[in-house]
Amino acid sequence: MSARTAPVTAWTSAQRVVAQPGGLLMTAVIDAMVVAVLAGVWRAAAGANGGTIAGYSAAAVTWYIATSEAGTISMNSRLIDDIGTDIASGAIAVELLRPVSVLRQRLLVEFGRVLPRLAVCIATGFIVARLTGGRLPSGSAALLAVPSLVLAIACNIVAQHVFAAGSFWLRESRAMWFLYQKLVFMLGGMLIPLEVFPSWLRTMAVMTPFPSMAYTPARLASGHFEPGLLGVQVAWLAVLGGVAAFVFGRGERRLQVIGG
Amino acid sequence: MKGLFVTLQSAFAEALSNRRAFAFHAAVMIVNDLAWIGFWVVFFHKAGTVRGWNTDQIVLLQAVLTTGGGISLGVLSNARRVGTLVTSGGLDALLGLPAHPLAQLLVRKIEPINLGDTIFGIVLFAVAGHPTPWRTVVFFGASVVSTVLMTSFLVLTGSLAFFGGRSDSGELGFSAILMLSNYPSSVFSGYAKLLMYTVVPAAFVATVPAQLIDKFDAKLAAEMLAITVVFAAATIATFNAGLRRYTSGSVWTNA
Repeated sequence: MSARTAPVTAWTSAQRVVAQPGGLLMTAVIDAMVVAVLAGVWRAAAGANGGTIAGYSAAAVTWYIATSEAGTISMNSRLIDDIGTDIASGAIAVELLRPVSVLRQRLLVEFGRVLPRLAVCIATGFIVARLTGGRLPSGSAALLAVPSLVLAIACNIVAQHVFAAGSFWLRESRAMWFLYQKLVFMLGGMLIPLEVFPSWLRTMAVMTPFPSMAYTPARLASGHFEPGLLGVQVAWLAVLGGVAAFVFGRGERRLQVIGG
Repeated sequence: MKGLFVTLQSAFAEALSNRRAFAFHAAVMIVNDLAWIGFWVVFFHKAGTVRGWNTDQIVLLQAVLTTGGGISLGVLSNARRVGTLVTSGGLDALLGLPAHPLAQLLVRKIEPINLGDTIFGIVLFAVAGHPTPWRTVVFFGASVVSTVLMTSFLVLTGSLAFFGGRSDSGELGFSAILMLSNYPSSVFSGYAKLLMYTVVPAAFVATVPAQLIDKFDAKLAAEMLAITVVFAAATIATFNAGLRRYTSGSVWTNA
């Protein structure tokens, strides 16, 4: 596949999602509910602690949650399970017949699918956070949050392929899916800013790729101008991409298809 | 009634036919629930008491929610699929049976993964809920009422598909009740709180039961019972009215 066809693949995939406005509306409603409720809990916690919690003001923590949720609600939450099922059932064998990399094609298709949902979640999160939390703490930091969100979903999609590749050996991915979700929820900082963790847990979390999937864009949107975080995301994307290519390459060579 | 009991029995037999898979799925859900407890422990460790809520009370809330939610989504698992079954014409198999289609639908399929929730909820209460004979009675009573309320809400929102022709309302109802029930409603104010005590009765699914276990209040218990009866009656009426508009899809196996 040439570099020229890659954007076309992602674009076609995105168009399919846009053609179903009901699904996008549902994403927006769920995002609005989650942001309103979860940010409400954190604002109450800030209020009970003199206006800030772990260095986040009520407004900052609202923007934090709006951004971390945008990066995760826009994803297909069952992606690992879906990929794992395709691998375990042997359905992926059909894709091996094409003159393109299975992994690259799947990453592009999924990236295209997520982008429209991400746009909807950013817009929804912006409105809810503005109405309930107040103004953006820092415009310049928030501008960095947009490319950071795109990098976050890229890291997330690639990492999910890494976890799902376990199905080449285990023929099962549900456990991986549940485990992965919880890692993003907690170590990724989706529900909790990492600064709230005890120091040993925070140290452990920052050594994993999960903060690049939720915490990083959320930290930026909450008013912390830390451009170096984008570099960390790029580095993790490269590492995860390498690991995904390796495990898919090994897995494809040992794929067993039962039946026709 | 005997027919329903036999249906439920065969649904359990089917769910337990693969013991290893059942144990695995239940274990996965227990890990999932532990992650939520972990979230709240970290949250209250940092935030202290928030509007009267602390770790002890959130443990009670999670114990009731996982026990009741586990029964609703595990034993009565078709409750969350009503919308999809209606729009796909998947109720056909129920219409020729002697029992009421809604009752038959609810007991027909067990979701093993959610039974892990119920196991977790009961163990959590036993270990961290400071059980006394009275608190245990209130815990189980409140969990039963919570189950009826959550199931009613799921069926009610799913039944709207009879009239709108789309299953989105059921999906949205499922997401809303499950998400809102996870948080103590007392933390919220204004419209959010009003919503949780009326249209989406999430407060009565977990927050109020947790308050009743902690400090029993007969008036609050009566309010919880009353709203459960109202939702249950509205659900049966809506399902029955919708069933008259149901169009067959010649699907005999989905339910």
